[in-house]
Amino acid sequence: MLNVRLISNSRWWHKKKNWILFAIFLFLFFVRISKGSIYKDFYYFVSKPFWPGKFQKEIIVESLEKEYFIKLHLLKKDNVRLRETLNLQESYSDTISAAVISRKTGSWWRQIILNKGSKAGVKIGSSVIGPGGLLGRINSTTSYTSTVRLLTSPESKVGVWVDRIQRNGLLIGSADNYPNLILYSKDADIKVGDFVSSSPASTLLPPNLPIGIVESVVEPFKAKKMAKILLLAKPNAIDWVQILKEK
Amino acid sequence: MKNLSMIFFLFVPIIFLWHPSWLGILDIQPYWPLFWLLPWSMISGSINGLISGLFLGLILDSITLDGIFTQIPGLVICGFWFGKIKIHRDTFVGHFRYGLICSIGSFLCGTLFILQIFLKNVSDRNFLMFIPSIQNILAEVFLTGLFAPLICSQLLRIFQSSRRKI
Repeated sequence: MLNVRLISNSRWWHKKKNWILFAIFLFLFFVRISKGSIYKDFYYFVSKPFWPGKFQKEIIVESLEKEYFIKLHLLKKDNVRLRETLNLQESYSDTISAAVISRKTGSWWRQIILNKGSKAGVKIGSSVIGPGGLLGRINSTTSYTSTVRLLTSPESKVGVWVDRIQRNGLLIGSADNYPNLILYSKDADIKVGDFVSSSPASTLLPPNLPIGIVESVVEPFKAKKMAKILLLAKPNAIDWVQILKEK
Repeated sequence: MKNLSMIFFLFVPIIFLWHPSWLGILDIQPYWPLFWLLPWSMISGSINGLISGLFLGLILDSITLDGIFTQIPGLVICGFWFGKIKIHRDTFVGHFRYGLICSIGSFLCGTLFILQIFLKNVSDRNFLMFIPSIQNILAEVFLTGLFAPLICSQLLRIFQSSRRKI
């Protein structure tokens, strides 16, 4: 009887060490199934203090900004030289900052009035830009104010450029917030999301000013293709604008 | 009466330019000139209303850009029509009448304006793209009808009381 008891005490499940080994095995099995997620998360917290810090990020961003600035400067110089060679209209050189003192951005009359007029050197026909891109052109000036005809005004017509398909078009305001782009070609492959800027061939606007993106394309009608444009600059929310002084 | 109404007359282009966005729907405002034109014409008669409509139209055209399109026809017709309307004895019914009359007036002015845009663009067959702008008329009609009972009845009361004093 005593012998039987000794045998039963020596079974493997009576040993604590075996259970510990079994637990470790289960843990490792779980780690294997979870593809090491616990290790990875553990590594995340352990290595966090040694990550590339904010300071390092700032250095990289600053270097990138410098690089872009130099590239932009070189491209601008190239652009001016090529434009002179091709006898195209030159880009703007200087800007006048002005505040919006009245805005009518709904209904039929779509205009903003600025607090700078002819005394500040504002001229009729100058382009007006805000955060996002082109807003419109100066339509009239007084000594101390100037009135901007917005791109959404039913009277507004400007030449634009669709970069992806390399085509010129006409942007016509239609008294709603989405002016119409007309391409005088039935086969123009215009798509939603295409970027629209001022035309490099335009005599009214400085070239390459961002205007908007194509929001929807209307079915072609009599050798024309039309699209609705979502403007990048929002005149109903802008308080300060830049008037471009042409050379 | 004349002094007070002239002061209010001067406020019309100011509020037209001010364009308080918190009062609008879809960035569209009520058609402000009608709020002054209705009480003035009801008191002063059709001919005076017609002349006031013309003057208002001239001022508003001068402060808006679109020189080709004019607000004068709509305001002249409204001024003449408003002059024919008699003041209702029941003030409560009167309030709602102002709303309805101003809504119809706003619809008339908006329709005459969009017709000018259509006519200008009919030659190059682009006029169809202006159809979405009909929403301007609808929003303007609604807002004008909403504010007219409040503003017109107050202005009418002020104009009448100042007239009695004279």
